[in-house]
Amino acid sequence: MLIEKFFDHISNWKMAWFGLIFLGSIINAVLQKSSLVGDSPYVSVFAFGAGALIGLAAKIRGAWL
Amino acid sequence: MRESPEIAAEFSFEKEKAIAKSFSQRFQWEMILIGLGQAVIWLSLWPLVLNGFIDLWVGFLIASLCACFAYLPSHEAQHGNYSRGNSKLRWLDGFVGHITLITLIYPYHLLRVTHMKHHAYTNDPEKDPDYFNAHTSSVLKVIKNVLDGSTLNFGKYLEVFSADKAFVNSFEKAIPIALLYRFILLVLVIIFPLETLLLWWLPAKIGSVYTTVFFSYFPHLGTSTGRYQNTRFWTHWMPRYLNHSMQLHFIHHLHPSIGHYDEPKAIEALKPFLIARKVPGANKIPDRVTLNPLIKI
Repeated sequence: MLIEKFFDHISNWKMAWFGLIFLGSIINAVLQKSSLVGDSPYVSVFAFGAGALIGLAAKIRGAWL
Repeated sequence: MRESPEIAAEFSFEKEKAIAKSFSQRFQWEMILIGLGQAVIWLSLWPLVLNGFIDLWVGFLIASLCACFAYLPSHEAQHGNYSRGNSKLRWLDGFVGHITLITLIYPYHLLRVTHMKHHAYTNDPEKDPDYFNAHTSSVLKVIKNVLDGSTLNFGKYLEVFSADKAFVNSFEKAIPIALLYRFILLVLVIIFPLETLLLWWLPAKIGSVYTTVFFSYFPHLGTSTGRYQNTRFWTHWMPRYLNHSMQLHFIHHLHPSIGHYDEPKAIEALKPFLIARKVPGANKIPDRVTLNPLIKI
């Protein structure tokens, strides 16, 4: 039952999770290397937030591109 | 197979099959070497890049090349072309099939069953899992669809073939592997974000685009249904050595057990049969295919 719920959740929200974790990590790593915003304490919040937003938009649209 | 009255006895299916069989015996060692070799090279990129022995961008280029070489060895495995009916060697099909697809982040079981359905229902809009790759308006659209993941609507085919137990079983076997790949990818991206992007995710996308454009789109472009009509002989500016000789993909659809590197010789031998059967483009096949780059400028 719990496993079924877990798989249902993954199946429905996979794009949002992928955006948050995968794209968030990539954007975070790129911004950390930037001399312009790399030192800002909010860079990770922005990066993972942007990743989550992209993922959420993809989930709503049903497609990444 | 019922023969059309238009086909002369000398081009009978039995004769065609006998010739094809003579090219379907050899052990496909090159493909095993390519499949396992690219996987080993790809895997070794991780310690080499992470320890600073090679630059990440060089690693990205090598990983992308590996990804472009990753599918075909698995494809031979999907058709059982390593074991060739020998039950003692069947493990080799699965072994090479699984290992070589790690670079492309696809589970072998899933690609195997959907590919078998592609062969069984080529160009059928409802049942061919590759239909939307071949029947798209342009290469750019194919690229967009592959990057988007929208051409691989596996869920749809699980519904279409829900009555096929073997299909459903293989599909279910693939799910844990697909989830494991996603899990590893997400763990790696947290620890090594740029390395995961440039050594795995992006090369896998590039490899998938390459594979789809040359294996699915060009060979089936403008073709219809039917054994001799669903795949074509084609040429363009690119020498066939750069696109895995997919100009010759039609012979694979007719006789999937012919080894990839034996296809040119098989086509030379079977050319009169292909012309008699009106395979699309067959009259343009040169007499000599072996070592011919098949360029058309």
